[in-house]
This record gives sequence, structure tokens and C-alpha cells, in this order.
Amino acid sequence: MAPVRWQRLGLLTAAERSWPALLLLLALVAIRLSKGAMLTDLYGLLSRPFWPGTAQGEWLRQAQTLGDHLRLEQLERENRRLRSLLGLSAAAGSSLPAPVISRRSTGWWQLLTLGRGSLQGVRPGAAVIAPGGLIGLVSSVTPTTATVRLLTDPGSRVGVWLGRSRHNGLLTGLGTGRPVLRFLEKDPDARPGDVVYTSPASSVVPPNLPVGVIQTLDEAADPAPEALVQLSAPVDAVDWVQVLRP
Amino acid sequence: MPSTRVLAQASVLLVPLLSLASPGWLKLNGMEPAWAVLWLLPWALVEDRLSALFAALTLGLLLDALHPGPVSLLPGLLLLAWWWSGLGRRRPPRNSLILGLLALLGTALLDLTLLLQWMLQSWRVGEAMPPLAEGMASSSPLLPLAGPEAAMLAEPLWHRRDLLLTGTPMLLAQTLITALLAPMLCSLLLLLWRQPGGGGRSG
Repeated sequence: MAPVRWQRLGLLTAAERSWPALLLLLALVAIRLSKGAMLTDLYGLLSRPFWPGTAQGEWLRQAQTLGDHLRLEQLERENRRLRSLLGLSAAAGSSLPAPVISRRSTGWWQLLTLGRGSLQGVRPGAAVIAPGGLIGLVSSVTPTTATVRLLTDPGSRVGVWLGRSRHNGLLTGLGTGRPVLRFLEKDPDARPGDVVYTSPASSVVPPNLPVGVIQTLDEAADPAPEALVQLSAPVDAVDWVQVLRP
Repeated sequence: MPSTRVLAQASVLLVPLLSLASPGWLKLNGMEPAWAVLWLLPWALVEDRLSALFAALTLGLLLDALHPGPVSLLPGLLLLAWWWSGLGRRRPPRNSLILGLLALLGTALLDLTLLLQWMLQSWRVGEAMPPLAEGMASSSPLLPLAGPEAAMLAEPLWHRRDLLLTGTPMLLAQTLITALLAPMLCSLLLLLWRQPGGGGRSG
């Protein structure tokens, strides 16, 4: 029996000696099966101090912005050309910043008075935008001031459409803070939360300026559905606006 | 003193300036006081009828220049000048509460003339527009499916339905805030203008 006992002892000793190598082999198999996960993670951890700095990321972002800007300019040129072919109102050209010197945003007439007038190139009918979107149209000008009829004024009418469903309507001021959107179709496929833009079919305002968001919808209104629109520009808070020049 | 009289007359310019300034802390439900009423009431009470009517005309023209129309403040202001100058000739009110009441009725009357003008405009346009959907005969089976007339919707008017819903609270708010301010402001102006050489008519 002695040789058998010695053989067993030999195997055990060999196993005891080679277990680190077996573990290593198992780890290598795991790395292989996981497509080198632990290896690349380790490499990432070790090489982190040598990764490219933020400056390179900033250069990339700048290049991306420049590319987007050029693409936008090209698209705008193309859009102007197509609109002129169709005989529609041109998209807005340059804009003129103007201070708000009088604000009558509530009451029988809802108006702003701007500290820029015909001497600075403001013309009646020009669209006026604030951060957030369109707020009204210039109704009259003097040499140094301009009066803007807000979208909430009862006499304000602006052609708009829904960005999602592309259905047209007329945004009508009610004398309250939220104008009503009266659709021209029986089934405008509108729902609260839809964004309202100026209509490309309008001959009065530049196309696709953001106006507001549908807050409530009255589908039972006669003769077509109506929606109350929350304007996206805070008329009561803006001190400077932009007058768009065609 | 002619200079004091000129100052009193020139104070009419404060009305459009206050309308433009539109102080936010002096508003009720977004409505500012009817500054024209607050100035015209004491003026009409101390002046003769012709002067009151002329002041109303001046005020109306100045204030109408500040809004795009199509309605005017002139009819209401002329009516108030006629009424108040008659009151001032017979027995001028001295009680502040009476002044408040006169301002309340005056503001309500002024705002009602505006509402009436909008109603008339809306009615006139409604009459002028064809009552049916554009291009459809009255017997067309498609008529119930037609949307509203774009031309009708595009009329820059305050439609009757909107007028009643939003115009009435606006009228009430402006009437109230004007009546609250009138006892103080109109009494002060009456005191100033009734002094000898203070701008009011003599005798």
C-alpha cells in the first residue's frame, strides 16, 4: 500500500504548488470570455491621468457649433429662396434691440411702447420678439418711439400653426393674459402641450417664430375647436425686446 | 395769476403721462384708474360748460392718440364734461363721498361707451360678412362640416362673446379703483382750482 500512498501525496503536493497558476488561467479565460472587460477597465484606470484635457473637448464643441451655424445659414438662405419663389412673407432678417419704456399689458388696450422709432428703422407691422418668442406687432411709430400691440390685445390677430400637427388657426387676443387660438378646421388634432408657431402661410409675420403652448382645449366650441395659449415670452417681465426687420 | 391758470391747464398733460407710466402698484385686477375721469371731474365742477367740453375734447384726443383704436374715449368724456359742468353750475358737490360716487358713475359710463362702440363694430362687421361658410350654398350638405370663416376671425375686433366675458370684470375693476382714489385726488384738485387764481372760473 505504500506506493499508492506516496502517489497520492505527490498529486496533492503538485496541486498545492500549481493553484496560483490555475487561478491565473481561470482569470485569463474570464477576460477572454468578457471581451477584455477587466483589462480595458484597468487600462482606463491607469491611463486616466493621461487622458485628453478639456481643451480638446472645447475645440470639438466650437467646431460643432461653427458647423451647425454654417448649416443653419445655408438652410435659411435656401428657405428664403423657396419662400420668395412661393411669394410668401420672408423670414425675419436682422433685428433691432429696443427698450420697453411703457408697459400697458392689462386693460382695454394691451400695448408696449418702445424707445426706438422710425429714425432707427422700425416700421409698422414689424414683429416684436422677447426671450421665449413673439409678443406682438408694431402698430404705430413716431420718430423715436414705437407702439406694439401685444398678442393679448383684443384687436390682435396673428396666423399661427401647430408645430406637431401643422394645422392652422388664428391667435386672437381676448384682453386677458392668454390669447385664444381659433382653428380653421373642425379636427385640428391638437392637444394641451402642443407648441404654437407663427404660420408659414401668414403674410404678416415671419414664419415659425415660437408663440406659446396650448394650455387648455375646447373641442366642443362652435364652429371649430378653440384653445387657450400660454405665451412663451414673459411680457410683464421683459425690459428689452427685439424688433425684427424684414 | 395767469401763470397758475396756465399750470392748471397744463396739468391735463399728466393724464396721458400717467396712462403711459401705468404704475403697477396702483392697479386692481390689472386695471389702472381712469386718470381722465379723475382729472376731468374737478375741472368740470369748477369750470363752465364750454371749458369743460374743451378739456374733454383735449383729453379724448390725447388719449386716443395712445391706442390703436378703433374705438374712442371722446364720446364718453364729452358726455361726462356736459353732465359734471351742469352739476357744478347748480350746486357744486363738496362732500368727498359724493366725489367718489360721481367718479364711480363716470368711470362706469366711460367704460360703457367703449363697450358699446366695440359691440356696434362687432355687430356691423357681423352684418357685413356673409353668414355662411365661404363659397358654400345654404343648402349644402357640407355646411355643418365647414370651419369658421377666416375673414370673420381675422377682423381685428373684440367679439361680443369675448367682450362680455372679459370686458365686464375689467369695467368693474376700473370703476372701483377710480372711485377709491377720487375722494382724495379730486378733493385736492378742487381745493387747488377753487382758490382765487387757482385756475377755476371766477365768480
